[in-house]
Amino acid sequence: METALLEVRNLDRRYGNVHAVRDLSFTMQRGQITGFVGPNGAGKTTTMRIAATLDVPDGGDVTVNGVSVLVEPRLARRQIGYMADQFHPYPGLDVVQYLDFFARASGLRGSERRRTVRKVAAFCGLDSFADRPATGLSKGMGQRLHLAKTLLHDPQLLILDEPAAGLDPRARIEFRALLKELAAAGKGILISSHILPELGEMCDSVVVIEKGRRVVAGSIADIHRDNELEQAVVVRTLGDVEALERFLVVQPHVSEAVVDGARVRFAFTGDDRELADLLVRAVAAGLPIVEFARAEADLEDIFLKTTRGRLQ
Amino acid sequence: MTAVESVPPAGERSADRWSRWSDHLNPILVREVQQAIKGRVFPLTILIALAISVVIAAVVSEEYSFGGTGRNAFRAGFATLIPLVLFVVPMQAYNSMRTELKGGIVEQLLLTRLSPSRVLSGKLQAAMVQFVLYVSILSPLLATSYLLRGVDVVTIGLSLLMALILCVTATALAVSSAAQGVVPALQPIANLGTAFGLGIGTFGMISAVVSGGFEAMLGALVRSGSFSAVVSAVLLLALLSTALSWLAARSFLLHAFENRSSAFRVLLFVLPVLAYGWLLAFVEPRHRDGAFPILTFGLLLVSIVFGVFMVTEQGRMSPRVDAHVPKAGWRALLLAPLLPGRDRGALCLLLFHVLLVAIAVAFWPLASVRRWHPAAVLPRVGAMTMAYVWVYLGLLRWLRARLPENVRGSQAARVLLPAMLFLFCVAPLLVDAIVRGGPDEWHLGHVMNPFWTIAEFAGQDKTELFPTVYAVIGLALLPQLPAFVRGLREVSAASRRNRSRAGPKPTSASDDA
Ligand SMILES: Nc1ncnc2c1ncn2[C@@H]1O[C@H](COP(=O)(O)OP(=O)(O)O)[C@@H](O)[C@H]1O
Ligand SMILES: [Mg+2]
Repeated sequence: METALLEVRNLDRRYGNVHAVRDLSFTMQRGQITGFVGPNGAGKTTTMRIAATLDVPDGGDVTVNGVSVLVEPRLARRQIGYMADQFHPYPGLDVVQYLDFFARASGLRGSERRRTVRKVAAFCGLDSFADRPATGLSKGMGQRLHLAKTLLHDPQLLILDEPAAGLDPRARIEFRALLKELAAAGKGILISSHILPELGEMCDSVVVIEKGRRVVAGSIADIHRDNELEQAVVVRTLGDVEALERFLVVQPHVSEAVVDGARVRFAFTGDDRELADLLVRAVAAGLPIVEFARAEADLEDIFLKTTRGRLQ
Repeated sequence: MTAVESVPPAGERSADRWSRWSDHLNPILVREVQQAIKGRVFPLTILIALAISVVIAAVVSEEYSFGGTGRNAFRAGFATLIPLVLFVVPMQAYNSMRTELKGGIVEQLLLTRLSPSRVLSGKLQAAMVQFVLYVSILSPLLATSYLLRGVDVVTIGLSLLMALILCVTATALAVSSAAQGVVPALQPIANLGTAFGLGIGTFGMISAVVSGGFEAMLGALVRSGSFSAVVSAVLLLALLSTALSWLAARSFLLHAFENRSSAFRVLLFVLPVLAYGWLLAFVEPRHRDGAFPILTFGLLLVSIVFGVFMVTEQGRMSPRVDAHVPKAGWRALLLAPLLPGRDRGALCLLLFHVLLVAIAVAFWPLASVRRWHPAAVLPRVGAMTMAYVWVYLGLLRWLRARLPENVRGSQAARVLLPAMLFLFCVAPLLVDAIVRGGPDEWHLGHVMNPFWTIAEFAGQDKTELFPTVYAVIGLALLPQLPAFVRGLREVSAASRRNRSRAGPKPTSASDDA
């Protein structure tokens, strides 16, 4: 069996009376973006700091490529890029000097170091900021510099603690694009957020935690299946909405059809095949359909559905 | 250097050369220099130093008199150098370390391949660069003072050496107390203490230099026969103090599961080698009879400080240390006293004391019989001290076991020792004061007061003292024996586990960068 890129096993961490993380387990594969979701104080930062070798647990273990972060912290560090939830660059250095310093600190030498700095700066879109002071960047550019610093030693696993917090929508979209590119290049990314839309549709899987406990974990499709979450589908017709509704309510797997202007929204419990069949039947029945789409099944749904009733 | 990456080819070549050359330097040093060049404090200090040295030169040459003028120039120059190297440089290092700790910058550093040791040595190197810079700014003045026959080369050389030693030790101390900032509660104390300590030191040195006392002291030292002994002792002490600051700072920066204990314990065993080596190499044979007992007793006292830390550590080995215990059982057991954990720490201290006693018994000068000779007094004082050490440390270990198994618990335990000592010394005195209207003489109630008890009994030539002292040491050690066994057992169990796990080769050997 191939070892997972990141494996968190029965992690436990207390701060005095606060049980920040309890018996938390999940795994993550290469090339995947995993959303790490939970309300403030759920224990995301604590978990990520332990995984990044900056804190130690009271119990459990974390392995990166099979290397325990507790037994071989230095070895593990080389495979991890950790982006903390705060960014404090050094005063008195410009962007390139800042990156150059961390490249030196990562053991890069000579032309290799300069090439890496240039490549990473270009990737993160920092080219035109090279001689700006590192402390004087906008929030968005600061986060890019922070990410650039995290990428210098070419880590396999990126642990990003709320990187999109406080970014404006445009910066957030650009940042997301960078992460997608990194995942496409084979890096595993664990990204946390307490605001679900921030993660959008970029995650392959999610881990939802609350009060230090895992609520759900897995790929988004799996979670839907496991929790028997019905998917919402929206249909728009040019013709009679009532006729469409009458047609839908008698179809298999369909429930809770609601008319909304020219659209009908309904819940569908079947799979994609059955959904396609449904569309074929609708067209065959002569209904003038112009739109037939899944309503964005977002993390928020998952989150709200899975944590419902546990919120106290 | 700024635009290493984005300048046209013309500038690229020199940037290249700098870049290649600087590859061999500590990254921290490179960065601190870059920051200093861009910052404001540094150029300002240099300007002020330059201005001062020009003013002094002008004033001195005004009231020209052969010899006297040279001396004044030297004093003025050296008095300018002192605050720079004894206050400005260490404070700068302190501040830069503090900045790193704030906002978790140091965590970013520790995630790179830089080891805590390299971070610290980068700081010290940056301090050295500043030292050289300041000395070179003031060197014209010092050269003038020599040319004017104010002072000889030996004095200038010794003064600079002294300044260098002070600068290094003070900087190491400052960096170490800044690294303490990991514990935020201690920060204001550390800030104040550092600034205050450095300030006092600087002020004292300046007044010594200006009044001429410093030169006089150096002169007397050069003329006396113990020149090499004193200079080597000062160098050794400075080295040790730097090493200790270094180790302390390093242990604050290391990953919580790394081994922070062994280095200190090894240092403890290096101390006698250095001390007795110094005695043989630098102290004249006729002084050795007096120096040997004092050194041995000094080592005993120093071991108490190490001991307090060693017996209040967390009890068990961390997963990391555990996984790195040697597979060979005998090697594991041999190393066990050096491995982390307070049971093994106590065992290590015991071994150290056994070593000291063995050395003392083998080499104690028996010839001298004068009553107050160190060789006559110190056996009793030493034995009693040792008894108190084991009684108090036994109590301390008992208390430590009741505190939580984390760093906080260890720190709390270390504070408990002085508290305990204070309580045991002061409470009987208070009782005396209330019941008898004042403490007049020693009685059994003061038996836990080591200072008074030792003073009371050590002076008297009571040989029957020894059986009691031995009995006390034995009684104090007896309840700790199971802990020693436990400490060794844990190591051999870990060794066995690592042996059985030895199937796939561990990837850790090349781990040390
Ligand atoms: N250093 C600390 N000392 C005491 N409590 C802490 C510390 N760090 C985190 N906590 C507590 O642990 C819980 C989890 O915190 P955290 O991991 O930061 O949550 P998140 O990142 O999900 O918002 C919170 O209740 C927080 O108050
Ligand atoms: Mg957080």
